[in-house]
Amino acid sequence: MLEIKNLHAKIGDKEILKGLNLTVKAGEVHAIMGPNGTGKSTLASIIAGKEDYEITAGEILFEGKNLLDLSPDERAREGVFLAFQYPVEIPGVSTTNFMKAAVNAKRKHHGQEPIVAKEFLAMMNEKRQLVELDKSYLSRSINEGFSGGEKKRNEIFQMAMLDPKLAILDETDSGLDIDALRIVADGVNKLKSKNNAFLVITHYQRLLNYIVPDFVHIMYDGRVVKTGDKSLALKMEERGYDWIKEEVGV
Amino acid sequence: MSFTDNIETIFETIDKDNLSAVRESALSSFKTLGLPSARHEEWKYTHIKTKLPETLRLVASQESQVASKLKYFNSIKGTKLVFINGVFSAESSVIIDQSGLTVGSLKELSSQHEAIFTKHFNKATDISKENFAALNTAFAQDGAFIYVKKNTIVEAPVFVFHIYDHASADIFTQSRNLIVVEENADITIVEDFQNNNGEKFYNHVSEVFIGQNAEVNYSLLQLHNQHTTSVNYVEARLEKDARYHITTVTLDGKLVRNNINAYMDGENSLATLNGLYIGKEANHIDNHILVDHRVPNCNSHQVYKGVLDDQSTGVFNGKIFVQKDAQKTNAYQSSKAVLLSDEASMNSKPQLEIFADDVKCSHGAAIGQMSKNELFYLLARGIDKETARGILTYAFANEIIAAVKLPELRTYLDDKLKEKLNITI
Ligand SMILES: Nc1ncnc2c1ncn2[C@@H]1O[C@H](COP(=O)(O)OP(=O)(O)O)[C@@H](O)[C@H]1O
Ligand SMILES: [Mg+2]
Repeated sequence: MLEIKNLHAKIGDKEILKGLNLTVKAGEVHAIMGPNGTGKSTLASIIAGKEDYEITAGEILFEGKNLLDLSPDERAREGVFLAFQYPVEIPGVSTTNFMKAAVNAKRKHHGQEPIVAKEFLAMMNEKRQLVELDKSYLSRSINEGFSGGEKKRNEIFQMAMLDPKLAILDETDSGLDIDALRIVADGVNKLKSKNNAFLVITHYQRLLNYIVPDFVHIMYDGRVVKTGDKSLALKMEERGYDWIKEEVGV
Repeated sequence: MSFTDNIETIFETIDKDNLSAVRESALSSFKTLGLPSARHEEWKYTHIKTKLPETLRLVASQESQVASKLKYFNSIKGTKLVFINGVFSAESSVIIDQSGLTVGSLKELSSQHEAIFTKHFNKATDISKENFAALNTAFAQDGAFIYVKKNTIVEAPVFVFHIYDHASADIFTQSRNLIVVEENADITIVEDFQNNNGEKFYNHVSEVFIGQNAEVNYSLLQLHNQHTTSVNYVEARLEKDARYHITTVTLDGKLVRNNINAYMDGENSLATLNGLYIGKEANHIDNHILVDHRVPNCNSHQVYKGVLDDQSTGVFNGKIFVQKDAQKTNAYQSSKAVLLSDEASMNSKPQLEIFADDVKCSHGAAIGQMSKNELFYLLARGIDKETARGILTYAFANEIIAAVKLPELRTYLDDKLKEKLNITI
């Protein structure tokens, strides 16, 4: 589904990704761990299509297509979803209207008619219950005045509404208490299927108790330096990043 | 050659009426003032002189099909006064009678209500300083006359429609309203200018007198004016405890100059002045706001928001005067503009002149761009760039529409805004 080969990227003069490789197949859950500032959010943003970065080498294929040729909105309509580390507050636009525009953009892209009102409302109701988001949040301005946990649940709600092929969760767990963490993880687990894939960026092992990864990648200084199974995450938690530095000799 | 060169000849052609003396003095004032040049401080960014027609054709015979141009006309209940190319159309107008309310054509009603007329006409504008107000007073043809007797709560809103559908480009109408609302009375007024047929010019003056403890809700709409060059004055005088809420919504206009002036003459009066403007292509939209606090304990609150795309230009000039007797004044002003293109520009000039010492005045002016983070958030959900920009513009602009009190008007404006921004949310 996703194939990243030798990706180099910089922002201004600063090189952030330095030859990153990653392959994700349908039905898989991949976790990416790594210290702060190592380029995890940069990777997520580049996959989603944020323009601030210059790709100096490498390629990203999504279902065989060159992802870097597509605009961010085209990528989303093709099935790429980013749950933001820092969801944006947008005063004046309700989550309902936002989602209606997003759902219809995707439908149009796939040659479908706009969704009928009744069906849309039923879908909103079903998906918000998945993440235990109160109905009142949907008529409020996007993320405005939401707590950290509510913002993250709203991201997962949006993910459920858009039913992506590839979902990237950028530190969706940080700032969540254990109940919220469980809600978010349950939501993800219910959406998991053999046709989609998840890339879960996290600092902490604890999320991976709930969303069990097939692969764990350790990222350091703009590269994936080690890949293993879920036990690698536990090892990381126990031994910290210094261990990795020594192990891979950086 | 411009119409000012033979203005006296044109003056000779207008009907003699009970205004002749006022007109004479306004004409002489206009001749002294002339048309504003770029050197005129108040017109520094709005170069109108060269954009006016060569003749001053005040009215034109009306054309048909007016009803179809007032699509929302029937869906909202209210009195409707219709002026077509400057001429009152009794047949298109609908008047809902209510005791205590007189409403109709100024030309027809001014002699019947001579005392009210003489007491108020031309008393809210300053023709010794305002070029276009002087021009209007000299040549005024017709407009709305609205007189609300004391203690009358006007139940149905009063709509004043100015429809321009004449094919000729040279009509330059001088429309004129007189609105007198006596103590404890209450009225909602919606004034709408629509140009459906090529290039047009108009110069409009609306004088509003708000009596003690009376309330006026006034909306001035400029929604279908792509080829219009216009100057608009809304001059309001507020007595003790009066409440005045004015909203201007400018979604179109080749060149628009709004002069929204509120004179706080009576203690404890309140004025809220809101405005929304959206400029595209080469639109030029200029809002000049003046709030003059002359007595103690008054409140004023201005919020202007603009969005400028393509090569459009915006001007905001907000004056707050707090005279030396106007202690305990509370005045607020906010001007925010978003530039959507590199070629769009905005000139913003807050001007606070405070001569009293015990006052609360605050102002803020911001000119910015659309937030990249917000835009990316929408794109990342699959919404195309044009729609995303439309949604964010709507989000920014909506505050002004949401504050409109008349529910049917609010819905209508909300739809118009979305239509303008090409979004369907
Ligand atoms: N807009 C930016 N401008 C300059 N440097 C940036 C910008 N965004 C991120 N960086 C830098 O890139 C590096 C990687 O950041 P990031 O991808 O956010 O890391 P992580 O998500 O792993 O914590 C950091 O050193 C950060 O300071
Ligand atoms: Mg990060």
